[in-house]
Amino acid sequence: MKYEFKIPFFLAFRQITRGSKWTFFLIIFLMAASFINLVFVSSLFKGIIKGSNEQVINMHSGHIMIKPNSGKDVFENRDDLIEEIEKIPNIESATTQFEIGGNLALNEKSGNWIINAINPDEEVKVTKLFDSMISGEYLKSGDREGIILGKQIAGGDVAELDAFSLHANVGDTIIANFNGVEKEFVVRGIFNSKYMTVDNTAFITYAGLESIFPALVNQANTALVRLIEPGEEQTAINQLKNAGIHGTFYTWEDAAGIMNSVTSSFLTIDFILSFVATLIAAVTIFIVVYIDISNKRQQIGILRAIGVKPYIIRSAYVIISSIYSVIGVAVGAGLFFGIIMPYFVAHPFVLPIVDATLAIEPGDFIFRMESIIIVSILVSLIPSFMITRIKLLNAIWGK
Amino acid sequence: MDQKVIISIRNIEKTYNLGEIKVKALRKISLDIQEGEFLIITGRNGSGKSTLLRQIGLLDWPNRGQIFLDGDEVTHLKEKHRRKIRHKKIGYIFQEYALIPELNAIENVMLPAMLIEPTKSCKPRAIDLLKKVGLENRLRHQPKQMSGGEQQKVAIARALINNPKILFADEPTANLDSIAAGGILEIFERLHAEGHTIVMISHEQDEKSYASRIIELRDGVLL
Repeated sequence: MKYEFKIPFFLAFRQITRGSKWTFFLIIFLMAASFINLVFVSSLFKGIIKGSNEQVINMHSGHIMIKPNSGKDVFENRDDLIEEIEKIPNIESATTQFEIGGNLALNEKSGNWIINAINPDEEVKVTKLFDSMISGEYLKSGDREGIILGKQIAGGDVAELDAFSLHANVGDTIIANFNGVEKEFVVRGIFNSKYMTVDNTAFITYAGLESIFPALVNQANTALVRLIEPGEEQTAINQLKNAGIHGTFYTWEDAAGIMNSVTSSFLTIDFILSFVATLIAAVTIFIVVYIDISNKRQQIGILRAIGVKPYIIRSAYVIISSIYSVIGVAVGAGLFFGIIMPYFVAHPFVLPIVDATLAIEPGDFIFRMESIIIVSILVSLIPSFMITRIKLLNAIWGK
Repeated sequence: MDQKVIISIRNIEKTYNLGEIKVKALRKISLDIQEGEFLIITGRNGSGKSTLLRQIGLLDWPNRGQIFLDGDEVTHLKEKHRRKIRHKKIGYIFQEYALIPELNAIENVMLPAMLIEPTKSCKPRAIDLLKKVGLENRLRHQPKQMSGGEQQKVAIARALINNPKILFADEPTANLDSIAAGGILEIFERLHAEGHTIVMISHEQDEKSYASRIIELRDGVLL
């Protein structure tokens, strides 16, 4: 009994090392392709989710967004607020905004949009709006007449809501109307943040806002905070509260709004597609192992005839499948990390909401590796059970 | 000196169901095989020779009758027990050689022994057996690197590795040319001379001269 345990390993290694090289490479290729199929779509979704989250942080909310407490409309001293916020450890920088609704008009076109007043010098330390200009230039501090427009306001080929836009270009003068108070602004630039809320926003400087409403000097109704170490939002919020900063605090996830439901939908789709990919991998591996075993039906019959127990034969095929799947997964992982991922990092998928690269978490990757190996072992058991259960004579005759 | 009966069969019947047609392959066959005997079973195609060999070789179950091996009834044993008997007491030589293509000659021969003993003890025996059948220059060759005759010699060596009580050979020379077939028959003759019990199926007239006894089947009946 003790000697027969080595036989499955002996048969498995001999079959792999001395069997058909073409069969070996074909099976490894199929295993690798199945694994890449399982990982690729998931990585793409994770990449889109990661990119979308970064869009929210970089274009909209920073890591933390602070609004005045209910009952208060504004922070009274925005310079002090920034100074207090930036004292907290793990906070890289902060900026403030004054969000106001207004009507923008150009020629016969007009519409109501959010207009955000900012200090461009502070804003660039927290958001990356400056990096998403598609024409013209970013605002400069003290520019009282300048305005930059999100692509949905400016319109053009890149705007999904072009029909409702102003059809504005850099250099155009547009009229901003805030509850009956009008001021002309010159379009300095147009940006495409790929984040719908922001692309439906116009930005002016505090100087521009205060030239209309002098009473709003040094006031703000939103503060955005960028952390040194992302992921510590709740700790930073507690530190801000303990530092006596009053307001309603939101993490970037709270501020993500519709992107949260998009992320949730992607995760659901990812789960379904991963299940289907695993199923396809299982069926592929089953077919490959079944054909391989069927071709060896007579050989298996001979093994049984000379006294080899069925469990030894089954174990040999399980070992063979394990080796195939481990090598296939290793090859698949090598191709994924060595070729596919670097390619898509260099050439991201350009989507309307984000430029998506591939992203996968180590735990998820390991789980998928384990899944494909376990699935291949389980499905290889089925044909090996089938083949060792047929009548001995039929097996010997190859029936 | 009285020779011991190693296999005894009594009133064996075997019927194959081919759809609605029933084919009686063996009809009440009774036979004793003595230890050390070289028995050749002959007969036309479809006479039941191979069917008989499979029943007494414990590869198949008869519909009726009894089979005794070494005095013990083995007719209705389950496959698990039959496998043990095949492994320890029976050596098979198939018409198609039936070697494992991924194993070399030594590995093919020692495989049945590896189930019950360490490689280091069965490997020298496998090499000795291969030398005995004249394959000292083919020890590490795989089946695809050998001729049909050489492969059949490997199959004979494999059948002998566990020192079986009886050898069954199902037309072992059918796929070989006359020279190769002659070599195989010489090996059987030598094994018989050493005291091995051999039961062989054969069509060939000239092979019958090697037998110590010949039986003929016709339409499933022992003549």
